[in-house]
Amino acid sequence: MATARHHIVIGNGVAGSQAAITLREREADAKVTLITLSALQFYNRYDLPKVFRGHRDWREFLVYPPEFYSDNRIAVRRATRVANADTHRRVLVLEHKEELRYDMLLVASGGRSYLPEELSEFRPLMHGFGSFEQAVNVAKVLPEGGRVVMLGGDMIGLDLARTLVDTGHRVTLVAGEHTFWPHELADEQRALFIKALQDMGVEVLEQEVVGAIAAIETGAKGMAARRVVFAKGSDVYGDVVMPFFGLVPSVEFMLGSGVDIERGLLVSPELRTTNEHVYAAGDVCQIWDDAAHRYRFYYGWKNVRAMGDIAARNMTGAAEPFVSAQDEILHLSGDGRIHSPFWEYE
Amino acid sequence: MSNTDIQISICGSAGDGTIAAGDILRRVMADIGYRVICFDVYPAEIRGFGKCIARLRITDQQAYSLKAKSDVLVSLNDSHAIAHAGELRECGALIYENTSIVAIAEGGHMSSHVQPGHLPYPVAFRTLSEKATGANRSRNIVALGFIAGLFGLPAEAFKKAIAAKFKSKAAVAASSVAAFDAGYDAGTQRFKLDDVCFGKPTATVIPGATIEMINGNAAVARGALDAGIDNFFGYPITPATTIMEKLASEMPKHGKRLVQTEDEISAIAATVGAGFAGARAATSTSGPGLSLMTEMLGLGIMAEVPAVVFVSQRGGPATGMPTKTEQSDLNIAVHGGHGDAPRIVIAPTNVDGCYRCAGKAFEMAEAYQTPVIVLLDMYLSNRYETVVFPAHPPFEPNMSRKLGKGENGDGYKRFALTEDAISPRAIPGDKGCMHVVTGLEHNELGRPSDQTDMHLAMSRKRHEKLKAALQHPNFTCHKRFGDEGAVDVGLLGWGSTFGECLEAMYKAQAAGIRCAAMKVVMLSPFPAEAVAAFMDDCRQVLVPEGNYQGQFANLVKANLARPLTSLTRPTGAPVRVEDILDEIRRLAALNQQAKAA
Repeated sequence: MATARHHIVIGNGVAGSQAAITLREREADAKVTLITLSALQFYNRYDLPKVFRGHRDWREFLVYPPEFYSDNRIAVRRATRVANADTHRRVLVLEHKEELRYDMLLVASGGRSYLPEELSEFRPLMHGFGSFEQAVNVAKVLPEGGRVVMLGGDMIGLDLARTLVDTGHRVTLVAGEHTFWPHELADEQRALFIKALQDMGVEVLEQEVVGAIAAIETGAKGMAARRVVFAKGSDVYGDVVMPFFGLVPSVEFMLGSGVDIERGLLVSPELRTTNEHVYAAGDVCQIWDDAAHRYRFYYGWKNVRAMGDIAARNMTGAAEPFVSAQDEILHLSGDGRIHSPFWEYE
Repeated sequence: MSNTDIQISICGSAGDGTIAAGDILRRVMADIGYRVICFDVYPAEIRGFGKCIARLRITDQQAYSLKAKSDVLVSLNDSHAIAHAGELRECGALIYENTSIVAIAEGGHMSSHVQPGHLPYPVAFRTLSEKATGANRSRNIVALGFIAGLFGLPAEAFKKAIAAKFKSKAAVAASSVAAFDAGYDAGTQRFKLDDVCFGKPTATVIPGATIEMINGNAAVARGALDAGIDNFFGYPITPATTIMEKLASEMPKHGKRLVQTEDEISAIAATVGAGFAGARAATSTSGPGLSLMTEMLGLGIMAEVPAVVFVSQRGGPATGMPTKTEQSDLNIAVHGGHGDAPRIVIAPTNVDGCYRCAGKAFEMAEAYQTPVIVLLDMYLSNRYETVVFPAHPPFEPNMSRKLGKGENGDGYKRFALTEDAISPRAIPGDKGCMHVVTGLEHNELGRPSDQTDMHLAMSRKRHEKLKAALQHPNFTCHKRFGDEGAVDVGLLGWGSTFGECLEAMYKAQAAGIRCAAMKVVMLSPFPAEAVAAFMDDCRQVLVPEGNYQGQFANLVKANLARPLTSLTRPTGAPVRVEDILDEIRRLAALNQQAKAA
């Protein structure tokens, strides 16, 4: 009797979760395993700014109830780190030395927040926003009406800035080359969008380079907890400092696997890597663009979900190319408001 | 409504320090002011093979049993703990080792058994222990630290308990504290996702009384000491051994004697001998030992000699399951042996009851001049509870029937046939009270006699005198709980299972079922009148117990011609509250159907 195939999906974000669902739909007998670093089941990271509106219970953020996974026979390995992939034996080695054999592997591990090297020494003094836990932690320490010093200002950060301003907090953006990431803007366009941010209520500091970040003794009530010192000598105070410099693909565990990697995993339009049993989807992969003759990243909720679906379909016998489903242009509406396709999700 | 009702289970392999971690945790929780019930499960093997589980239910109000589902499960060894992952409740915390020194086969790690509703906390127990102490032996203490840090429990109380546990080994204490700190830091830094919250403890203050964390066997030993035990003779056997161990450390301090005999036969023989000589004497054993003791118990009954036998039941027959609990020695305790051999058998239902029954057993043995068996089981012997001990021991130091005027002298009748069938008792050496003691049937003087009338009279005497035990002063032979008057379902419980009965009864009441429960402590002589009255109030009677045959149910049926439903669970584990509750619901539904019809 033939043994049911085992499909493993690394990552339970938008791409990974969609892929698991599609895999289950297309192969009823297959064993489907999701592996994630997160202690929680799939939640939508676009919802995380809600923590500043008082939503602190993780159950409110789950996209599917816990029983969804057991009902659909999708095994979720939470709080689990993949150490490496042996693509010759088709075995994943987990950090705790457990080996999982797969028939088809989908890497949808997404991206982690990028932090420029020159700021890495100040990491302990900054608050991330890449997970539910980080979001709640920063919400806990940010006082009512408190100030966030936002470094970089990618679209994830600017989405948060909208909520922060809306909830009565103050935001000081130290703008730079990563502002509006992943959108690429010409100078004149950028000036318009910076103006729109200011109209939104965000204080924007341009032409400043962070030299140091310092913690301040918080003895006096109302005193800011952080001081950001710029290279030219000026400074700004805030209750928290948050870096938003875009994402870098989480591919460390694939190094040495024999799969081609540039910044992300290189995949065909069908999202297959250079190994026929390994696919990739979401922020972790660079997809071959036939027209442009280059590999490129695609971002945004719609694209990422479509990638998860198509990768799963192709892992189970289809041969469909990924086509971007999303307008990737940053817009300004007639009333001067910013509209990003990356802020739109269902 | 209780603010705190948290059950923590720690599961590991023998040698992992599982029980030690549970021991420290329970002591800390009790010291802080919570009520604690704990029960440890461990294997018959000494080290490296079997499964150990320390389960603690921590509450701020009195609880009566362990819960079927834990709120926190800590795995020190996944190969054992994986089987228990399903015993963690929804939104409970599953804490496990995230490192390994060997390759693990697929499915062999706890992470593959985290159920959708669980919150996983992988922790580098091994690495943290090695960094803190230079060795991985303190993984259990790291785990304790993690629990304390994650749930915001006071670190200092743990360090104090650790220091006390290792007080004779300063280096071990220091490295354990370092391991605790490492785990504590990891716990405080971990984002808490589960909904396990400790409320403020509500310590009970009773003037003069002391609250102590103690297990059933230690409570038995304390009861014996407080009742003035003079001599103890025993032979080790799980799960009764710790009674002897506790007494061995305490009795010499009070000028009392304990002898480890060569076997159980010698132990009971010496106990009966000491009782004959006027001492308050006892022995302890388990089922296999009780089998060996039955012949000599018969002598004690025939010779009307006070003796106390503590019996802690375990899985049987034969060697059976030495480290698993069972309630299957009721038959031998009540009926075991040859001839018409009535004896007193009492079975405490909780740790406090162990203390009281142990002390009262000496009173009864003396008052009714007969062996008394105190029937425990492993679940009760090893179960820790917070117990409130009274300022003064509630036991009479001497309950011997004194000789009346003129009852001594040449005509002294050791076995005088009296109105209440209890004879005045002299002990060897009492002036003018020379008497004979024999295993043969005898007359009032103690001289052998096989006269038919005498055997009838003496048999009646030996049976009738025990009836008074049902009214023994300040002793609860039985007690009713729950709804008064007519009820849909009544639970008849005995021994350690009664806690589960009580929990099930309260849950049934909360679900709108009229329910009551009666604990029966005195198994022999059987309190038939009271039990009959209770059963008459119940449309359905349910008798849950931890054996296959339904030994207590059969005892009830033998005494009372009334219908009942027997629920038996001979699993080696305590009877589950949920199983009892399911049966209550089923019986209540039958009532509804009968009404509708």
